[in-house]
Amino acid sequence: MLHWIQYIRGYVAVRVWGYSVERLLNLCGNHDILVWDIEDHGDYHTMRMSIAGFFALKPLLKKTGTRAAVLHRYGLPFFVSKMQKRKLFVAGLFLCILFWSLASRCIWDIRIEGNYALTEDVLMEYLQEQGVHTAMKKSDLQIEALEQALRKDYDLITWTSLQLQGTTLLVRIKENEMPVYDDPKGESAVRGMDLVAERDGVVTYIITRSGVPLVSCGDSVKAGDVLVSGAIPVYNEDTTVRRYQYVEADADILLRYTEQVSLEASVAYQEKCYTGEKLDIPVLGAGSKEITLRLFGIPYDLYDTSEEKKQVKLLDHLYLPLFYGQKTVQEYELAAKAHTDEEMKTLLQEEWRKNISTLLEKGVQITEKNVTIKKNDEKWVLYANMQLEESAVKLLPTATEPVEEPEEETQSDQTRAVILKGGAWERLQSV
Amino acid sequence: MLGAAIVTVTGNREAFIENYKGILEYTTESIVLQGKNTKICFEGSSLSIDYYTNEDMKISGKIDALRYL
Repeated sequence: MLHWIQYIRGYVAVRVWGYSVERLLNLCGNHDILVWDIEDHGDYHTMRMSIAGFFALKPLLKKTGTRAAVLHRYGLPFFVSKMQKRKLFVAGLFLCILFWSLASRCIWDIRIEGNYALTEDVLMEYLQEQGVHTAMKKSDLQIEALEQALRKDYDLITWTSLQLQGTTLLVRIKENEMPVYDDPKGESAVRGMDLVAERDGVVTYIITRSGVPLVSCGDSVKAGDVLVSGAIPVYNEDTTVRRYQYVEADADILLRYTEQVSLEASVAYQEKCYTGEKLDIPVLGAGSKEITLRLFGIPYDLYDTSEEKKQVKLLDHLYLPLFYGQKTVQEYELAAKAHTDEEMKTLLQEEWRKNISTLLEKGVQITEKNVTIKKNDEKWVLYANMQLEESAVKLLPTATEPVEEPEEETQSDQTRAVILKGGAWERLQSV
Repeated sequence: MLGAAIVTVTGNREAFIENYKGILEYTTESIVLQGKNTKICFEGSSLSIDYYTNEDMKISGKIDALRYL
C-alpha cells in the first residue's frame, strides 16, 4: 500500500556527498522531509525522498555544505511526463485497452456439445433465429430463457446447459435416447385419421389393421378417395348410426397403375477438349467484393474457371468476411462428335437404370414393363410402359362428422323399457 | 521517563528507535544517535537506515553491539 502511494506521488533516488550528511539528515527530520533507504557508500550516501522533499532540500544543502544529485526518478508523475512525448503510443495503448474491454463484452465463439441426432448446423441456425450469434453482446443473452426455449422447441432435447466461458458460449445438451412417440391423446385420436389414395389406380392388396375399409381388391380408385375410414360407426338397434368411434386408420394397401416413361439421347454431342493452357490467378476478397490479382484479361475464348477460396477465421467458429484463394482458368475447345451405337445403348441403359432405381427407392414395385427403343440418325428414344404397384396412401383427418349422440337419460329409459318388457313376458308365461 | 529514547531491537538485524534528538554519525560500521541525556551507538556491519523522520527511524543490517555513551 505504502509503495503504491509512493509510486503515485513520485519519488527520487538522490546521491548526497559533502561535509556532514548526518546534519543534513537531522535537518530533514526537523523539516518533516521523509527520507528512506539511506545507504552509506563510503564517500557518498544514497537516499530516497519525495519530489516535494527534494525541492525543500535545497536550502538545507546550502546550510550543511553538502551537495545532492538525482540518480533516478520513480513514480507516476515522471511516467506521465515521459509519456507526453509519446502521445501516439499512449493513444494506442488506450485504444488497445478500449478494444479489449469492448470485445470482451461480446460472444466470439459458440460451441455445441452433446448433440448426436441434431446436427450442429440445425442448432446453430436455431440459435441464429433466437438472436444468438457471434459478436453479440453478452448482456443481451438470456441464458435461462434460451435453455427453456431449446427444450421446448426440440422434443429430442431433454437437458440443456448454457455457459459463458470468457467470450465462448458453450451449449451443452442431452438428447433423449428413447424414441419420441406422438402424443396418443393428440388430434389424430380425438378426430380420427383416414387413409386416402394419393393417385389413381386399382387396389390390388388391402389388409386393414384399424378403421373401416371402404374398398376391396380389384376396385379402381381416384386420387383423394378415402380407402380406409378412421370413423368406426356404432349402430343403434334400428341400424342407424348412434355415434362414431374415431381411430387412426392403419392398413397395408397396394395400388396398381400404369406409367409411361420416355428417355432420349441425341447421337451428336460436343466434347470439351482441354488444350492444356491454363492460368493461376490469386484472388483476394472482402465480403461480396473480390479482387483478382491480374492486370490483363483472360486471353481465351472458351474456358472453365475453378476457384478455391479460404475464409480467414479466428478461433474455431469466428469467420471474418475475408477470403483468399486462387482462380484457375483452363482453356478448352469444342469438338463435334457422334456417339457410336454401342455408346448410345449404354447411355440409354444407364438412364433407364437410374430411373428404375429411383422408383425402387420410393418403395414402388414394378410388376410389368414393356420397353421399346426408336432410333433415327439424330437421336434414340426409349419408351417404357410400366405397370407399377405402390402403397400410395396418406393419412388425413377424417371427413366423417360426428353424430349428435342421444342423451344418457333416454338411453337408461330405453334399457329399463326392455327389462320391463322382459319381466312382463315372464309374467305372461307364468300365468 | 519523559523524553527518554525508546530502542526496540529485533534479533541482531533490525532496530527501531523513537524519541531521539538527532543523528551524529552514520557509516556502514556505526550509527550514533543523540538521545535526551545520552548517546546511543549501534555498531555492526552493513548498517543502513530504512527510513528517517523526526519521530522515529529504523536501522537494518548486522548489529554487533549497542552502547550508551
